Amino acid sequence: MSLEEKLEKWRRLEEEARELRRREADWEFINSQPPRIRAALKLYVETGDIRLASKIAGIEIEDFRELLRLAKIPVVV
Amino acid sequence: MSAEVFAIADTCFLIDWASWRRRNLLFSLFKTVFVPESVLREVRSERTIEWIATSLSSGSLSLFTETPDVIAFARSLVEKSKLLPIRGIDLPEAICLAAGKMRNYIVITENRGALMAAEILEELSGINVWRSLKLIAEALRRSLVKNDFREVFAEYEVDTGHRFPKKDLEEVLHELRGEA
Repeated sequence: MSLEEKLEKWRRLEEEARELRRREADWEFINSQPPRIRAALKLYVETGDIRLASKIAGIEIEDFRELLRLAKIPVVV
Repeated sequence: MSAEVFAIADTCFLIDWASWRRRNLLFSLFKTVFVPESVLREVRSERTIEWIATSLSSGSLSLFTETPDVIAFARSLVEKSKLLPIRGIDLPEAICLAAGKMRNYIVITENRGALMAAEILEELSGINVWRSLKLIAEALRRSLVKNDFREVFAEYEVDTGHRFPKKDLEEVLHELRGEA
């Protein structure tokens, strides 16, 4: 598989994961959070990047992982 | 030394597996699983720390102290991952990838950026990276768990809040049923 084909494969997988996170997230919960947490959860829905999202939230990765559960945002790997 | 003797785990993997009811299956698959010091520093919860500490004391997990050559390689991987239109990796995952490549360890990760980097970066060609889907499939293949295949994957999803990509899961289930 060429580099372009690999990139296209991952782009498609990322889009599928993003759609799943958007669809299953509890938006009422997300929108009820304080601004910093709300922004971090939205960033996670769009990117799936837990380390960056937890830094924006200002909490540890493991605590952010629990927050994802509460927000019903699936972790897709 | 067989590659499957040693694995090296990243933060997301350990956090997820600490939540799974069958987490100690990990130690039936590998002789020891290394935990980099940089990964250990990111783990905070009582549940995960207790599992890691117990497993370190029994020798099922081992501490991996990063050496300058591993850190230098890891830093170059971080930089290269940021040059491509993929999800970048950060130093803790990069250390696992660097050690996996340099020491021939299986890298176990629940970080998609690490999976992308392993497939795309030329510096990591030939590296062996497993995600939970593959680990659980391997445990089922070796009959380390006797339950219904689908049920075991579903348990993992319930316990961890993880979601396996549907197509990938169906492919794995198909393969497992073909072998059964």
